[in-house]
Order: sequence, then C-alpha cells, then structure tokens
Amino acid sequence: MSRQVVIILHNAIEATGLQRVIDDTFGIDAHVAQGIDELLQLPADCIDLVVTDSQHFVENLRTFLPRKARTLVLADQPAHGDGDINIIDTLHGTERIVEALSGFLGDKEEEPSANLLSQREIEVLRLVASGMINKQIANTLNISINTVLTHRKNITAKLGIKSVSGLSFYAMMNGIIDPK
Amino acid sequence: MSNLTLINHDTKLSDIVIAEPSALTVLNRFGIRLGLGDLTVARACTQLDIDPDFMVTILNTYLHEAYFPERIEATFKASTIVNYLGQTNNYYIHFHLPVIERHFGLLISKSDPANNNLGLMLKFFIEVKQQLLDRIADDRDRWFPAILEAEATATAIETFIRPDEDDVDTVEDKLTDLINMMVIHLSGNYDGNLALAVLMALVSLKNDLVQNNRIRNRLLRPMFHVLIGQ
Repeated sequence: MSRQVVIILHNAIEATGLQRVIDDTFGIDAHVAQGIDELLQLPADCIDLVVTDSQHFVENLRTFLPRKARTLVLADQPAHGDGDINIIDTLHGTERIVEALSGFLGDKEEEPSANLLSQREIEVLRLVASGMINKQIANTLNISINTVLTHRKNITAKLGIKSVSGLSFYAMMNGIIDPK
Repeated sequence: MSNLTLINHDTKLSDIVIAEPSALTVLNRFGIRLGLGDLTVARACTQLDIDPDFMVTILNTYLHEAYFPERIEATFKASTIVNYLGQTNNYYIHFHLPVIERHFGLLISKSDPANNNLGLMLKFFIEVKQQLLDRIADDRDRWFPAILEAEATATAIETFIRPDEDDVDTVEDKLTDLINMMVIHLSGNYDGNLALAVLMALVSLKNDLVQNNRIRNRLLRPMFHVLIGQ
C-alpha cells in the first residue's frame, strides 16, 4: 500500500523541492497542501506523515500535538526543547532530512516484505549492476549523488548485499539484468 | 565470541578446542591434530619446537576480537608469522576452496536444473575464489618476500601497498554477500542437506579469513612498518 505524505510549508518552492526529494528517494507522491484547512479535510488515519515548518506547527498546536508522532517539523535553527516532537534542523541539508524521513517511511515499508525493492531502487540496482558509478547513476536518473547513496543504502539494507558483484548476481538471478 | 578466557602457556589445548572448535584450524597449521589428551600449550610447543609465546599470541589474536598484542616486534621474528600465514594460505588453496567448490557442484547436480539461482551463485563464488587466489599470490610473490627481505637486511625498503587495500569490495565483503544471498534469497527446488553443507563451508571460510585478518593486521602489518622504518 502506498504511503500518504502531506507537506505543509509556507515556502512553496521548498514544498515542491521536498516533494521531489520524497518522490526520488522513496517513490512516494507526496501531497502539497495549501494550508491547514486542507490538511483538516483529509482523514487523519490515512496520513502516514505530515511534514511542516515551525511556524505552521506553532500556529496550529491544537491540530499537530495530537498527531505529533506522525509529524516532522522542519526548523531553520538547531533543534531543542520537547524531545517528543520530531524536529529536524534543515541547516544540515537534504541528506539529514532524508535520513529523518527514512525513520517514518522506511519502517512501515519493511513490514509486508523487507526485501521488496521500490521501482526506483530497482532502477538504481540495474544501473549499479551494469557497472555505473554513483555519479553516472545520478546523471542518468537526474537525481543527486546523495539520493543515489540513500537508494544504495536502502537496497543493501533490504537485500543484505553490499558489493557490486553481489548486487550484479542478485540482479541476474531476478531478471533485472541479463546474465553475462 | 565465546566464553573462552585469554590463553596462556598452561591452558589445555582440549579446553580451547571444546570452547571454540574453530581453534582447531589454527592448531592444524602448527601441525597439531585431534586426540589432544591433556597437552598444554607449553608442552605442545616443547614437543614441536615452537615458541610458546608465539602460539599464545596467535591463538589469542585469532579467538579474541578485543585482543591487541603489544611490542610484538621485540618478541617474535616476522618470518615466523609469515610462515604461519603461508600455511594458512595453503589451507585455503588445498582444502577450503576445493571443498566449497565440490559441495557446490554436488548441490547443483542434485537440484532442479531449471533453478538458475545456484549456477549464478557458483559463478559468484568462482569470482570470489579468484580474488582470494590473487591475494594469496600477491602475498607469496610480493608482500611476504618484502617482509623477509626487510627483516634479513634490516634496511628500509620501498613502501609496499597491498593492492587489495584500495579495493572497494573485499573478499570478505563478497563472501558475506554470498552467504546472505543463500540465506535470504535462495529459491526454487534444491537439496537442503547439500545447501547446508555449502553454507556452512562458506561461513567457516569467511570466519577464518576475518580471524586471520587480525593476525595480518595486528601482528604482521605493524611489524612490517617497524622493519621498513615507518
């Protein structure tokens, strides 16, 4: 079952960028909500994660506190305060945000079948197995090297296979590339 | 790893092997075989004319991950360790690798011919085997002679860098992958007993390599750096 992720940020460009990162990394088509009213119209039980900024969070505490376990707050300064609230400091860049998102989106994905790769991961695996290095894969898929590294980390975690040779043989065994 | 305490001159060999059976592979490389009776390390070393401190250090390094020997260059000759590791390499060439290949061959011959998983895993194993054989050849032709020369002449020689240090994927990484591949991803019809035999042999080889790497990296490599004056 696909994840339901909702993004509510004041900055529309940041929201679109984050939507792209989530799509590239997790293969999830996140929904960018235009405001808190739109979030309230969505059934809360169907939402796996809400990503918002500190301003929205503070202005709508009555909405966010009951669902704080499934809310990630992006802050542009070092996080401190209530440890129950998931705050990620955006000053550390995309990789840190992806890592935090993995905490929400990775676990559930592993429940039904831990070794099932997403479509994007299969694409990355095919390119690794065909001998491409990370930079070539990033260029081919039009994604950042950090995103490629995150995909590779996830592939290794799911398959238990780390080496390029091992991944190549796995890809052959599963028809992702033709046997040599 | 095990509950085995640090080994000393008075430790009985049978106690070591009962607590940690993989220690038998080390004892075999010293020419010691089963039927250990109540032999202690010291008595076995006297019989075989081996320095007991050396055997104690090798066994503790092999069996205890947290064990770091000190000032080994003042205690042993590098040639003693080279000799031990040469025996270890011979064991891989003449025993471990052929056994795995033989088990793999039997497994494939007794399993569903339509199952391509096993054939591809064997090809992966052949690649790993070749990488290990290349490393052993490099030990024999370059690294070990360089150490022996440095020890004999007591002169600094050109810095020697093992080629596998730059490799992204080591033999040990690939063996771990092959083991995981069998455990997690093997599918189709196959002979369960023979698959178990292959798996156990792969695990045994990987563990032996990892444990002997401690001897290479904690004993021989620092000694080599002392010899070449680094």
